Amino acid sequence: MTTDFLDAHKRHWEDAELLFTAARWANADHLYGLAAECGLKRLMCAFGMKIDSASGSPARKKDRVHVDCIWEHYEAYRSGYHDGVSYSLSSLEFFSDWNIAQRYAPQGDFTREIAASHRDGAGKVYNLVKKAIWEGLIS
Amino acid sequence: MTTFDEILPVIREVLGTLTEALEKLEPVILNRDLNGRIRLILDEKLQDQPETRGAVETIVHALEKRLGPHTFPAERMVLFEPSLEMVKQGALHFPLQGFDAVTVVDRLATETDWARIEPVSSGASRIVFFSIKGGVGRSTASAVAAWSLAQSGKRVMVLDLDLESPGISTSLLPDERRPAYGITDWLVEDLVGNGAVVFEDMVTKSDLSHDGDIYVVPAHGRNPGEYVAKLGRVWMPGMDGEGLREPWAGRLARLLTALENRWQPDVILMDARAGIDEVASACITDLGAKGILLFSIDGEQAWSGYRILFQHWRRTGVACEIRERLQMVGAMIPEVNAKEYVDGLCERSWITFAEELYDAIPPGEPADAYFSFDQADETAPHFPWPIRWHRGFAALQSIHSRFQGMGKDEVKAVFGPLLRGIDAIIGFDGESHE
Repeated sequence: MTTDFLDAHKRHWEDAELLFTAARWANADHLYGLAAECGLKRLMCAFGMKIDSASGSPARKKDRVHVDCIWEHYEAYRSGYHDGVSYSLSSLEFFSDWNIAQRYAPQGDFTREIAASHRDGAGKVYNLVKKAIWEGLIS
Repeated sequence: MTTFDEILPVIREVLGTLTEALEKLEPVILNRDLNGRIRLILDEKLQDQPETRGAVETIVHALEKRLGPHTFPAERMVLFEPSLEMVKQGALHFPLQGFDAVTVVDRLATETDWARIEPVSSGASRIVFFSIKGGVGRSTASAVAAWSLAQSGKRVMVLDLDLESPGISTSLLPDERRPAYGITDWLVEDLVGNGAVVFEDMVTKSDLSHDGDIYVVPAHGRNPGEYVAKLGRVWMPGMDGEGLREPWAGRLARLLTALENRWQPDVILMDARAGIDEVASACITDLGAKGILLFSIDGEQAWSGYRILFQHWRRTGVACEIRERLQMVGAMIPEVNAKEYVDGLCERSWITFAEELYDAIPPGEPADAYFSFDQADETAPHFPWPIRWHRGFAALQSIHSRFQGMGKDEVKAVFGPLLRGIDAIIGFDGESHE
């Protein structure tokens, strides 16, 4: 299958919202993390991140990270873009307590508060992606 | 195939034939992105509504057919948003001519857009010296104006905002008196919160005036340093204290306010870059200028350039906010056939203003209720303040030494109308000029 960070960002966000509304905190939380990762990777591409055409993954192996480790990478690409200030996020909004391995965790470990905090972070990424679409930076 | 200039006329034409469909979707945003591609943005309440789906389909297919590469495929042309106001935030936007419920949101790669007009500053009068084409004596005139106002006892601040081709400070300061830093240094340091380090050492008092003061703020300091590398960063937007984006012109406005508070000038003269340029836009529209002096020789290129600018102000609906601050200055009036030259200049200036900025007076209406002037009206913005070409003022580099032996009469003979006009703008009766 091919890679489409924008499409993946949207579907993860929309599905996370459905799960959040249904109080399915564990999988909502998981998908908010993936939505944020895909949105940020699409923005990083717009700011200059190269993609390996064969795999569809970031060309630099170091950029192949999940959302809990993406902050420094996003900042590096953002600060190289002349209007990167328009796409800034606070590191506090990031997902240091989120981990891809949590998909194996029991759902009782997830609460509304945990999912809501990640929803907030993913929502900010969602708004930045929208802004980039309006500007034509991504389409 | 449609090209950029045809985008809005074509959309008007298409929507004009589809008014019934359009009414079902209003209000509508036409989002023109950085690449010049159009998307429709509609209220998300309309998404998946059977009664409006047909209207959307009709319009997007018609637009796709006519706009070609300047839009998206029909199935991707529409975005739905919960708040249309949010889409407009921070971007230039204006109503589509003839369609009150359709707003064009225009996204530019440049920071400035010539269409956000700041109100006149309440502090010292700020006067911008601008020209569409360079080499017309604009910087020399601003140096002379600074000198003349200072000779009359005023505290004058002069900013060299021609960052890409600095010059005016050379005419007011000998090299050894230049401060260590300039505007470019501050704009770069400000990006990392370090502006205060250069602030006190970016202004020097000129030694040319003994009655008043001329505070010169150069584009760069004694040693330009890595000027190209700094210039490439001055346009960067920054973050304000609350973490909000601050456009570079906003940073420049903040600097100007800080300089004004620190040095308390009576009047601030800003030498802007020539042409339709980022810095010129900031000076003319973003810094609260009270007077905007438009220098011009009588040439087709100049009138064409001013017309482009005036049309942009009209199209974006801000002409009324800025036109009263404008004043044409006739530059480099030749020694031979001067009267004929000035008459021609005045006529072409009047035509440009009348067609683009002056109100058309409806039949039977009193003229004085409108912003409209006769060609011969010497008080009108279009009526050029003439500056005669003079060999002694032709080379900016030699101006500093020339100022030292210069008499008031000599200056008045060449720059009199300009100096009187500036006095009028700043509300100075000019007695001490005499």
